[in-house]
Amino acid sequence: MDREPILKRKTAISYKTEEKTVVRGYDLSELADAGYSFCDALFVLFQGRIPTEAEADMLRYETGEFLEHSMSPSAASAIAVIGGRPNLPAAVSAAVMTFGGAHGPGAAHGYMMNKAIERARAEGKSLDEMGKNLVDEYMDAGLAVMGMGQPQHTDGDPRAEPTHIKHEELGLGGVYLELQRSIEKHFNERRQREGRSYVAVNMIGAGNTALAELGFSPNAAWAIGCVCRGFSCAAHALYTMKKGHAWAASKREPMVQMLDLSMIKYVGPPDREVPSQEERQEYARKEKEEGGYKKWAL
Amino acid sequence: MGSLDDPRLPYDYKNRERGTVAPDTTRQPFRWASEVAYKNVHRIVTRGYDTTELVEAGYGIEDVIFIDFQSRIPLIEEAKMLSYVMVMSLEDGLSSPAAISRIVTKSKTLLTQAAGASILAFGHAYGAYTDYGKILDTYLKRAEKEGMSLAEAAEMAVRDNIDSEALGVSDLMLKDPAAKRMIARAEKLGVAGKYIAFAKEIAKAAQKLFKEPVDLDMLGATGATMMDLGFSPDATWCILAVTRAFAGGAHYCEEVEREQYIRLGQALTPKELYDGPADRPVPSLEERAKTAVSGVAKTPEEWRQKLVEKQKLRGSGWGIVEEIEDPRRKM
Repeated sequence: MDREPILKRKTAISYKTEEKTVVRGYDLSELADAGYSFCDALFVLFQGRIPTEAEADMLRYETGEFLEHSMSPSAASAIAVIGGRPNLPAAVSAAVMTFGGAHGPGAAHGYMMNKAIERARAEGKSLDEMGKNLVDEYMDAGLAVMGMGQPQHTDGDPRAEPTHIKHEELGLGGVYLELQRSIEKHFNERRQREGRSYVAVNMIGAGNTALAELGFSPNAAWAIGCVCRGFSCAAHALYTMKKGHAWAASKREPMVQMLDLSMIKYVGPPDREVPSQEERQEYARKEKEEGGYKKWAL
Repeated sequence: MGSLDDPRLPYDYKNRERGTVAPDTTRQPFRWASEVAYKNVHRIVTRGYDTTELVEAGYGIEDVIFIDFQSRIPLIEEAKMLSYVMVMSLEDGLSSPAAISRIVTKSKTLLTQAAGASILAFGHAYGAYTDYGKILDTYLKRAEKEGMSLAEAAEMAVRDNIDSEALGVSDLMLKDPAAKRMIARAEKLGVAGKYIAFAKEIAKAAQKLFKEPVDLDMLGATGATMMDLGFSPDATWCILAVTRAFAGGAHYCEEVEREQYIRLGQALTPKELYDGPADRPVPSLEERAKTAVSGVAKTPEEWRQKLVEKQKLRGSGWGIVEEIEDPRRKM
């Protein structure tokens, strides 16, 4: 049996021989047999170190609460993809890939925090001053301040503030929590001055702050958050596969299905005659010159 | 217009209705129906448990996986065993998931694309947990139904699946004790059940029936353990693919940190790797009518001859024959 690596690379993550698999120097079997948990192993994978108990507890708390979020873009993707009945990994993969600039933008938040902390250091400012700076700069530029607000949990994500509190309770508060708290304070003070409503911290603001404090890089933190959600999206896909109709358009269900024809609302150009091939060139030229199509072009 | 006047069409194409279908008011309106989870403005609830209350009460990722997939809080020993399995499944060196993650990364993508793509590596050979679980279930049921001993059922499973990549035994773990250690841990924690017992019988049967030395491999040990923890084959497939995707994220990071991005058209394929048709002139469009040969077969015999020819061209797909469900088996 060919046991060559699929891709030849120098790697500092792991090696695998016929005798063992070693991650960051630790034999995985030894690690598991010694009683280290999956959360401990994530520290080993991304940071090459065994965490303190409090750090592992914080990650366990976070991954436990990150895992399930009912109907979010990621779960909706998994459910939609499994409607075609591909292999399950396709639906789960799609769910993880849903995370981007709007749904759980963890890496971007991490980079924002790192930049602000570095600026505070270089410019001799306190983290509170830098939090105010950051809020003003983002709001003056008309940009959303990352880590604030959630479209479904309009009174504040139920997980967010408890995450901050747990972060403090476990004695893990550091530069990231101090800066994040400052951002939240100055963000809402400014909104209040502008006569706008209160907006609470979201799970990027709370969860990603804790992950950064635990030593995870912006991308490592993003991986942990997004991939963790993959577990629950798999459950949603599996539920849909086992207990729903393929295609999500069955007329036999008592409830109108997601892809029932009646669910389609069309707001594009009105129906029009297809030009014959004889008419085509003149028709196409006129359409291009008049430019009405630009309203619809994507 | 074209064929749209053809009388064989199932309805009158010239007079088809225009516009979308009116909302269906005879049935309940669409909602995201789920047995798994719901949320409102202030709560996120999975299988009846508020997720914030769960983590505040000390439950963690392994517990929530049990709750999501099995709708139950696991015994402490079961959660410990799942954690063990997940540690062992987290990383596997430069195997398919890591390679896919790194290849996607090279195009300068988001991390989520690379980590998500790594999940696609799990199929019916690599990480074939669904197939393996189905083998265990099939032959355990037959043992029960036909009054066979576990050893007899295991021998039948091995004989019937001797060429399968999903038998859970191979020569991959002859020097690495990881699979055996996982089974030992499951037994020590008291969570080993009928699947681990059967997996061990399959290994014994395979050792008798295979010419070369084989033993329980990681697919076998992990799959049987997950099933003894109550996870279905499909759930096992997903959970372990997602577990590996965390490492897909680490491989993304390292690829960005150590390697170069690749541009469209950059990678060459040396001619010495090519063994397709020899270089040949492209016929002009005028010559096409004289040189092009139709692929249409008019008789089954002609179809067969063309099939054999087509199978000689690698990459055409004709060399692949996949099994589909045979309805005669259900008759």
